[in-house]
Amino acid sequence: MSSGAVSPAWLGALAALASLACSSALAERDGVCREDATFDCRVSPMRGAEPIDVGLVGYGCSGSERPDRDARYEERIPMGKVCAERGATAEGLRGFCCTASTTSCAYDPVAACEGGAGYRCRGADRPEALNAAISCGNGVRRDIYIDYCCTGPEPPEPCIQVNTIGCSERLTGFSCPGAALPRGEELPASESRADYYRLLCPMPTPASNVTRSNYCCYMPALIPPGASCVQNTHVPGCAAGRFGFACYGPDTPNQDYAPMSCPEPGFAGESAEGYPATLYCCDFR
Amino acid sequence: MAAGPRSRALVASLLAGLGCSSPELTELAYSCDTSPTPSQQTEDGSLCGANDPNIIEPSLPSAMDVCQTLRAEKFASDMSPPDETTLDTARVQQALNDCRGRVVKLEPSESGNAFVTDHLDLVSVTLWIDAGVTLYASRNAELYQKTGSCGVLGVNDSGACKDFISVSGDSPAIVGDGTIDGQGGEPLIGRDYSWWQLSYALREINGSIGNPTMINLLAGTTGFVLYRVTLNNSAKFHVKITSTPADGVCDRPGKGFTVWGITLLTPSKWTNSEGLVLTPSFARNTDGVDPGTTSIATCGVIACNTISTGDDHIAIKGGHWVSDLIIAHNHFGTGHGMSIGSETYGTYKTADGVVHRGVERVWVYDLTIDADSRPVGADAVAADFNGIRIKSDSSRGGLVSDITFQDVCMRDMTNAILISTAYNPLFAGTHYPQFRNLAFHDIRHVSCMGLRQPIVTLNGFNAALRAGPITLDNVVIDNLGPGAVASRHADISLGPRAVNFMPSGEGVSIEDRISEASEPKRCVFPTLPAPQPPAGWLR
Repeated sequence: MSSGAVSPAWLGALAALASLACSSALAERDGVCREDATFDCRVSPMRGAEPIDVGLVGYGCSGSERPDRDARYEERIPMGKVCAERGATAEGLRGFCCTASTTSCAYDPVAACEGGAGYRCRGADRPEALNAAISCGNGVRRDIYIDYCCTGPEPPEPCIQVNTIGCSERLTGFSCPGAALPRGEELPASESRADYYRLLCPMPTPASNVTRSNYCCYMPALIPPGASCVQNTHVPGCAAGRFGFACYGPDTPNQDYAPMSCPEPGFAGESAEGYPATLYCCDFR
Repeated sequence: MAAGPRSRALVASLLAGLGCSSPELTELAYSCDTSPTPSQQTEDGSLCGANDPNIIEPSLPSAMDVCQTLRAEKFASDMSPPDETTLDTARVQQALNDCRGRVVKLEPSESGNAFVTDHLDLVSVTLWIDAGVTLYASRNAELYQKTGSCGVLGVNDSGACKDFISVSGDSPAIVGDGTIDGQGGEPLIGRDYSWWQLSYALREINGSIGNPTMINLLAGTTGFVLYRVTLNNSAKFHVKITSTPADGVCDRPGKGFTVWGITLLTPSKWTNSEGLVLTPSFARNTDGVDPGTTSIATCGVIACNTISTGDDHIAIKGGHWVSDLIIAHNHFGTGHGMSIGSETYGTYKTADGVVHRGVERVWVYDLTIDADSRPVGADAVAADFNGIRIKSDSSRGGLVSDITFQDVCMRDMTNAILISTAYNPLFAGTHYPQFRNLAFHDIRHVSCMGLRQPIVTLNGFNAALRAGPITLDNVVIDNLGPGAVASRHADISLGPRAVNFMPSGEGVSIEDRISEASEPKRCVFPTLPAPQPPAGWLR
């Protein structure tokens, strides 16, 4: 066969492959959505406040259909509804509360958002700013867009930086609810620009409020290339306030993090992510 | 003053077609010529603030109050950083320790005009820096070492270094007509980069370097005074204020703290000693005066100051609680704005059991902000030119309430007024911004040298968390283009005097109470301090 000729059989096979590829990403529609004026889309402005009507539109959907699935892009600007899933309607359908008008966010059907919905947005508006019934995680910049994973219910309470839990001068104190660990954005109380932090925190110390834990965290300096030790606040037998680590390689925490002193030898166990690792319990010098 | 060649008469034509309510504003030409009066003086020659019944100027200590006088032994000039073979730390710190409750005075001598120290602790004592003296911060990063990362390139460790001057105790003060120089643009000892180069290296990731703060007030400080000194070239923030009245009662403005008559110019030189050009944009994270950063700040006065730097002129941080501030008679040059935020989530319970939140009761009046006083840097971005700014987001938001801006003149801002609940949209959280009772009276923005048209943003967080009421009364932003006013989820009240734009957008409610014809505020921009360009530079 000459290089310039393509047989109809090849074209057919290519078309079949293409359709397979698409079908794995974009499932066929298996339901419908209809407006449902009886569905309660009121929201509370603050925790515990009386819910109010903020103009969201209720929908009931069957199957896996969503009211925001028809999002589109015009000149690279996302355009679509933002919808919060909120339990079942009176008819037993999946209930959604959606923005009444088109926004600069588009539902992303292929986003990897476990148990939630993905949105791709342009500009500074988070989906919560467009739809008060939704809550979303941290945004991730992709080119000119920001991607969000969102769910209907409110996210857990964040950690708070505190200066009153007796941390040494070189450590930063945090009070966290439940099993939450301090995140980068919870640090910036004293900074005007402090968006990218990777804190290293010890085993939790009980707080006076039993629903919270305290941490005195450390800001690591440059970590050597190839370092394999990561924070693990679940190292068995590691006392509150000491720093637990899981190392995947032959390196040790004191090699990766200069201020760490690890007097006891490592032992076999699992990292917080569930992988086999050597566990260490260390002290901040 | 006669209108110069750059005089303009734009107002009337620009008002047309912008949907202004009647009665309309009177046409008023304005001049782009800068007044020859220096910003540290008043146009009528009176003492700044002397006729303001709301505030009281501090005074210098008397000779009787001086406990120890130290004379300068080093000599420094703009051409070269002072020698650091030996430092003055020990003798200055010893005097500060020995003179609590009294005054340590630094004076020039026949052979010296400079002191060089590393970290100093100033506890319940007054440091008087006399005219002709400069207190330099050492360029030896090892002397500020805290976490091991101080002075190390590429490390995003905001707490890496000690402060240059830590302040605490009752009635501490830094006063006098001398200068404190952080040497942020000069190469560090033993290294081929400066504090600012350390910070600039993290610019692309919006990272925060742990450079020393010039003056940091520690929690529990009461009655702090910063008076008349000149502050130059801090490695990071210049002044972080945490101070309250000693008895907890705010019955006199300034009882919690007073910042009066300071001149803050950063960078203060066109180039460093090695010829590297220094610009405000290069001097990253060099906020001017930040109340509330470390802990609560209440009952404060910030008056009669000149501030020109590379980040926020003033940033009121509500991560704990800030209340009852008067910010008056100030002149700002380059910088990121008269700001509130981004942290506004603070809560604080006072002894009476009342829980206070965020930022409450701030009165800003008689303020000029002028972006034209000097070049900002070729790498400056639009967000580097802000006038009035209230910024927060759902990761760090809370209550901002009862804030009044009055008699404010701005020149060549990108964001003339920015009320934003999306400071950093990447971060999730449930600390929702709540902006309430914001008032703007007699506000004027003029365009002279600016290449960008100004923008006005008045945004609440969402339909359930609206901003407002926002009162706009005689607010005139010249040279507004189409789409230059953005608003959403806000309750806006216009009047009683006219406004030259009509906010609109999703969830915006307008109460039109305009009933009076008005004249836009007359603006005079004083001559601000600026480093002089060397030969061969046009500007």
